[in-house]
Amino acid sequence: MGIITVLWEKWVEFRRDFFKITVAAMISPLMYLIIFGLGIQTTSHGEPYLNFLIPGIVAMATMTGSFSAIAQNMSVQRLYERALDQIMVSPTPLWQFILGQVIGGSLRGMYAAGVILVLTAPIRTGLVFNTLSFAIMFLNGTVFATIALVLSFLAKSYTDAPRFTSYIIMPMSFLCNTFFSTDQMPAGFRQVISLLPLSQASAMIRTISGGERPGAFGFVVLLAYLIVFGAISVVFIYRKKNL
Amino acid sequence: MIELRNLTKKFGDFTAVDHLSLTIETGEFFGLLGPNGAGKTTTISMMSTVLLPTAGEILIDGQRLDRKASQQKRKLSVITQEYSMRQDMNMDEVMEYQGRLYFLPRKVIKQKTDVLLEFAGLIDYRHRTVRHLSGGMKRKLMICRALMIEPEILLLDEPTAGMDALSRRQMWNLLRKVNGDKMTIVLTTHYIEEAQALCGRVALVNQGKLQKLDTPDNLIRELGPFAVDETSQDSLVSRYFHNRDDAIAYLSKAGSDAALRATTLEDVFVDVAGRKL
Repeated sequence: MGIITVLWEKWVEFRRDFFKITVAAMISPLMYLIIFGLGIQTTSHGEPYLNFLIPGIVAMATMTGSFSAIAQNMSVQRLYERALDQIMVSPTPLWQFILGQVIGGSLRGMYAAGVILVLTAPIRTGLVFNTLSFAIMFLNGTVFATIALVLSFLAKSYTDAPRFTSYIIMPMSFLCNTFFSTDQMPAGFRQVISLLPLSQASAMIRTISGGERPGAFGFVVLLAYLIVFGAISVVFIYRKKNL
Repeated sequence: MIELRNLTKKFGDFTAVDHLSLTIETGEFFGLLGPNGAGKTTTISMMSTVLLPTAGEILIDGQRLDRKASQQKRKLSVITQEYSMRQDMNMDEVMEYQGRLYFLPRKVIKQKTDVLLEFAGLIDYRHRTVRHLSGGMKRKLMICRALMIEPEILLLDEPTAGMDALSRRQMWNLLRKVNGDKMTIVLTTHYIEEAQALCGRVALVNQGKLQKLDTPDNLIRELGPFAVDETSQDSLVSRYFHNRDDAIAYLSKAGSDAALRATTLEDVFVDVAGRKL
């Protein structure tokens, strides 16, 4: 029941800011596609670079969409609007509030990815996006929504949200298998980067887009992040002395 | 009944609330008064579980209150000092969100929203977003939101801050009415006359500690119901007397700038706060 309430709140927000959300979801990925995909035309692994890039951009869009939907919003609600107080005092179980935020955030990430898929649909790439691709997008979105929740509970000021984006989202966008394969990285660094959630999500979506089935390892990594950060956010909301 | 038992809250080395113990009976209109930084808002925040105590506990009807205590939280509604609302929602959405958080059916939410917004004179502005409301309108909306769930306990942290005199009086009447319906009300306010007009009992706190706890009349009686104000060039000094004859005798010896009046709760407040400052 509490989950539905949070999803309703997210829907109200989405309905009102539909245009802004859609434009924000489009701009960066579209720039990357134009510059790296169409402007600098090249090949990767013997295929057009766009075939490599589009799955990475889709995975990245789920990350940025879900992360920004939660990090910005929760920081403002907690520290500026104090709207979180209304949740804390209500009888809605707080774990349901967290779960609603995670699902709502992930759906926003999927919407951002959906926008990219629609925009790239006219380009005849032959890439495959099936139910499993969307499941991975959703899972990736839940991971970054939980990370955003934890960070927003740690934020000291609502201006911290853009900093989190600079520290976490931007480096991941460039390093984690979006624009180039992690295989080309030096040993050691490569292993660390490939264990980050976006690397795994990109790799799995890219594997499916090439008509193959991804291995289970990527799911294990994403689920591990989801469980760890989900648990931390639940512990924070129940036990953090000063929310 | 609400019981605060040795309630303590520390922020680092600073103790905001220091072993506060008191009991608030069901249906009571209770005031929590103190100077700025006395720990009033921190106490209300702990009673609404936004802050967790460093030590001590809060019981509602004998059951410990914490963030998992949905049964106890269902009885509570809070009006915070800040406008704790989504600024980008309109009034209908704010009310619906509150109703949903308390599991009210949508039909009931709609009916109550109509009644409460009409009652508060906000019905014509129901589609206006919170950020476009005046301070007074936001306050009224917060009250509508709090009353929507018909709480057994209403926590009010400076509920009339920013309201004009007329709106404040309307608010007093509303609070008297809901308290008459057996709602327990805990009020913090800077307007001491507000506490004197509304509260059956008041607790005076300073530096996180309970200083006095009694009815306003008893507190005034204890200080002395007759006050003589002596105005000098740079200060106003008040002296309190337990009988009128003593006050008049003092007045006759004092200068021409002295005046006799009835002691108020504000005098008690200033006396308690002033001693510690």
